[in-house]
Amino acid sequence: MKPHRRKKLTIIAFIATGLSVAVGLSLYALSNSIDLFFTPTQVAAGEVSSGQRIRIGGMVKEGSVARSEESLHVEFIATDYNNDLLVRYDGILPDLFREGQGVVAEGMVADGVFQASRVLAKHDENYMSVEVKAAMDAAERDRADAVPAGESNGS
Amino acid sequence: MWLWFSKLGSPKWFYELSSKWLPWLVVFMAVAMTVGLLWALLFVPEDYQQGFTNRIFYVHVPVASISLACFPLMAGAGVITLVWKMKLADMVAKSAAPIGAWFTAVALITGAIWGQPTWGTWWVWDARLTSMLLQFFLLIGVIALRSAIESPDAAAKACALLSIVGAINVPIIKYSVEWWNTLHQPATDLTMNENGANGPEIWVPLLIMIVAVYSFFVISLILATRNEILVRERRSQWVMDIVAREKV
Repeated sequence: MKPHRRKKLTIIAFIATGLSVAVGLSLYALSNSIDLFFTPTQVAAGEVSSGQRIRIGGMVKEGSVARSEESLHVEFIATDYNNDLLVRYDGILPDLFREGQGVVAEGMVADGVFQASRVLAKHDENYMSVEVKAAMDAAERDRADAVPAGESNGS
Repeated sequence: MWLWFSKLGSPKWFYELSSKWLPWLVVFMAVAMTVGLLWALLFVPEDYQQGFTNRIFYVHVPVASISLACFPLMAGAGVITLVWKMKLADMVAKSAAPIGAWFTAVALITGAIWGQPTWGTWWVWDARLTSMLLQFFLLIGVIALRSAIESPDAAAKACALLSIVGAINVPIIKYSVEWWNTLHQPATDLTMNENGANGPEIWVPLLIMIVAVYSFFVISLILATRNEILVRERRSQWVMDIVAREKV
């Protein structure tokens, strides 16, 4: 390679590396603001002041959803499996809102309860047909019913 | 190696080679696209969570992943332009920017259409969506920069530099869903999954669509580059010969 080309290439590599490091460090420093939501653990640790508008995210705890009979009021527990946070919401939930699935809620913490003004559903990256899911659930039930021994058929 | 490299950099050589390859590539793309689209939109089984809504996955994922290839391509071409001053590299870079902008726009739009029924919102300022929007604006910026500078050489250098800078955004988009918490789900792991999710009935049509959309991207890029070659080399003898022969 000719010297002047090598020099140019070095300059470009230098600029690209320098910029990448600068961007990387800024993003690292800003990571709290880049996160879309706080986890129930962060809320429990007092990282958010009450009355501050934030988003929280977690899983909807199984069996925690309680709907009102005569209004759209709904309460559920968002969990990150370490801490729980009770969420209250008056409004229409997205179709994908389910127990055991992810949820992101916008609102504020008051007296340890999250009053949501908007609830979004999160879905994961695993796709499965209805049939496969049914077959897996059946297999799960069989395992649960079977004698508790190491007799897994390896399915 | 160096002979091959300088040959590759010759617009004439590229034009002639692509004339030979293009018909095959178009046939291949048409077959893959037809099979992929029909399979994905008509025969993919209903998802246990999302029903048929997640069929947009088969358009959104290929388009979005290929839009991420655009900046590395332009940055690579930019380095070649800056260091070796190869004319063809800048022609490819110039042609890639608008195509990449379209792919990014389609990824953003199909994502919004998917997000509304599943998440419950068209848009959210999470790291994945925001960095993708930034890529769209950066590509528009590259296109604007090129048309703002009158001298083609200066424009090539400025765009090359902006493309190298813009490529830093690509790993940010890619890993945004792992580095930060986002509403967007992480990338689907298509290697065999022990919990039964993402089986062959899910990933085979996705793979076909990725191949089809990738071919579509390459074909668009080749066609745009050929136009660019004809415009920039219009004073050279071989282009005049083609013009005379094809009476265009």
